[in-house]
Amino acid sequence: MTRRFAGILLCGAILTGLALADDALPKAETILDHFVEVTGGKAAYEKHKSEVMTGTVDMSAQNVKGTLTRYSAPPDKTYTVMELDGVGKMEEGAAGGVAWENSPISGPRVKTGEEKAQSLREAVFNGPLNWRQMYTKVETAGVETIDGEDCYKVVLTPADGPPETQYYQKKSGLAVRMVTTTSTPMGDFPVEQDLSDYKSFDGVLMPTKMVEKIGPQQFQITIDSVKVNQDVAADQFNPPADVKALLEKK
Amino acid sequence: MVAGILLLAATAFAQLTAEQKQLNIESFEKVWSTIRDKHWEKNPGGLDWQAIHEEYRPKIEQATSTEQARQVMRDMIARLHETHFAIFPGSVYEDVGAEAAAGGNGSPGFDTRVLDGQAIVTSIDAGSSAEKAGVHTGWAVLRAGGKDLTPVIQKLKAVPELHELTLERAVETALSGPQGGELPVTFLDGENHERSMNLRLDPPRGEPSHFGNLPTEYVWFESKKIGNVGYVRFNLFLDLVRVMGRFGKAVTDCKTCDGFIIDLRGNPGGIGGMAMGMAGFLVDKPDQKLGTMYMRGVTLKFVINPRMGAFDGPVAVLVDGCSASTSEIFAGGLQDLGRARIFGTKTAAAALPSEIEKLPNGDGFQYAIANYISEGGKALEGNGVTPDEQVTLTRAALLAGHDPVLDAALQWIKKQRDRK
Repeated sequence: MTRRFAGILLCGAILTGLALADDALPKAETILDHFVEVTGGKAAYEKHKSEVMTGTVDMSAQNVKGTLTRYSAPPDKTYTVMELDGVGKMEEGAAGGVAWENSPISGPRVKTGEEKAQSLREAVFNGPLNWRQMYTKVETAGVETIDGEDCYKVVLTPADGPPETQYYQKKSGLAVRMVTTTSTPMGDFPVEQDLSDYKSFDGVLMPTKMVEKIGPQQFQITIDSVKVNQDVAADQFNPPADVKALLEKK
Repeated sequence: MVAGILLLAATAFAQLTAEQKQLNIESFEKVWSTIRDKHWEKNPGGLDWQAIHEEYRPKIEQATSTEQARQVMRDMIARLHETHFAIFPGSVYEDVGAEAAAGGNGSPGFDTRVLDGQAIVTSIDAGSSAEKAGVHTGWAVLRAGGKDLTPVIQKLKAVPELHELTLERAVETALSGPQGGELPVTFLDGENHERSMNLRLDPPRGEPSHFGNLPTEYVWFESKKIGNVGYVRFNLFLDLVRVMGRFGKAVTDCKTCDGFIIDLRGNPGGIGGMAMGMAGFLVDKPDQKLGTMYMRGVTLKFVINPRMGAFDGPVAVLVDGCSASTSEIFAGGLQDLGRARIFGTKTAAAALPSEIEKLPNGDGFQYAIANYISEGGKALEGNGVTPDEQVTLTRAALLAGHDPVLDAALQWIKKQRDRK
């Protein structure tokens, strides 16, 4: 689940915005650029050198709640820890071309294949400014209505893995939905994530409410705070000893 | 005269009030729509489910008795040709304990299994009021709380759709009550003499565990060594952090053991993912899986993540008719992978969270929401896990202080060691 949580950061582009015509389909690059513009602009993003995000997880149908903290730093380092009631502490991380996870259920595991590629994409810091590192092709696929608002549908294709579809409101330019397939050892699952309640953190707007559906499961992530440019310990992104042992074995 | 009374009775039986008729129709609609919405296939059983509705709706409207209405619903779900879809009469629904939650979870401290139509004591908790009162394994429970158990057992055994797990739960319900209270119980002892006693109802064995919407469950875990064989037993796949931690420690502490026994008798399951996690301590090859679960729109592969230093000696898993769900996924998967030998009796064949709901007319409706195929290609739901060595508990063995299932597993491990 943290995988798609990380994915929320990957919804932007690099260039400054252009005015979007109402009646013509703009290029995907233009839509992605506009997202960066409306969420703070390139300069604001570039001032972020590290982020520590904290929030809550709520699987209301199952009555399971928890907390999460995500650390991230350039160029592609992440570490996320989630503690769910009755499940315990689950961790995952990516850095230096390695992606891993550790949980009380499955134990330590090093990711491979499409799952690894997906985690590494989501680990790219300031993803909205660096989407060309992550996707080989982007295109506008039409206009669809979400919650009464017209949205541009943008399809982003990575080098490894299935395409992702993102929806940007015509009016606000904000990303409001992402649809993709997430790859796990248990199988590939369709994921739909609705984004809302954008708030500014040191000059960059970020969604603070994410409702994610994976098959019959639904959960909500609420971000309470994002601390920008805090000191993050140098070893914060090192894999735990169990994962290191697996890496050494390989 | 007699014929006249019978005719009158039959006529009275046939007449449903308008309200009863409406409740039967509402029950039919609930059964039909539940299958439409929750069955793992969009076209349940490969059928045009809407056409099934059009076929059976007139029949339910014409039913002149609740028994007829029940039969119409049974005929409809029989078209699925699948197990774990059933309609129970209201009286059976009450007996299976579906509404017994208000009765309390106080326990006299012993476990039973139905053997030859009687509830037989199979284990006694240390320090329990049953142990203090001198209750012995192998004793038969005749009455509990003033209720004769044998007729209840006979009634439930007469319903073929009810599996053993449901029957055992009904007995368990009869043997529980409010904590702190006393339960009058009449046993048949080893000499076949009736022994009546009042047993104090204590909190259930184990630690209270909370997970999501599940009611608080008491989870216990025991591990020991029998000679140089590791042995673990736990009552539920819950309390994830504690149970996974203790399971992992028990296996890794047994690195040089001759074998390892996992006793899942009476374990009705819990968190499915724990089966994969535990298997990771016993399997050292990557890309192995226990099986695959199919739900509406989602396919879940139960993949094993091998742990560093997984145990590579002989593994025995003990099961019985009360081993269900996650227990079956675990035992069946390891059996299919050739990683464990299974001992005991056939499992509950309830690998899935088949649910029982009360219908508007008071009947019970059981339905499964997923299909699970074990790695060997067999559906566990409705089939269960058939042990490699079928060993049955007997009252005589229990009275003599033996556990024939455990003994068989120990014997097999000894043979494996001797072959080395």
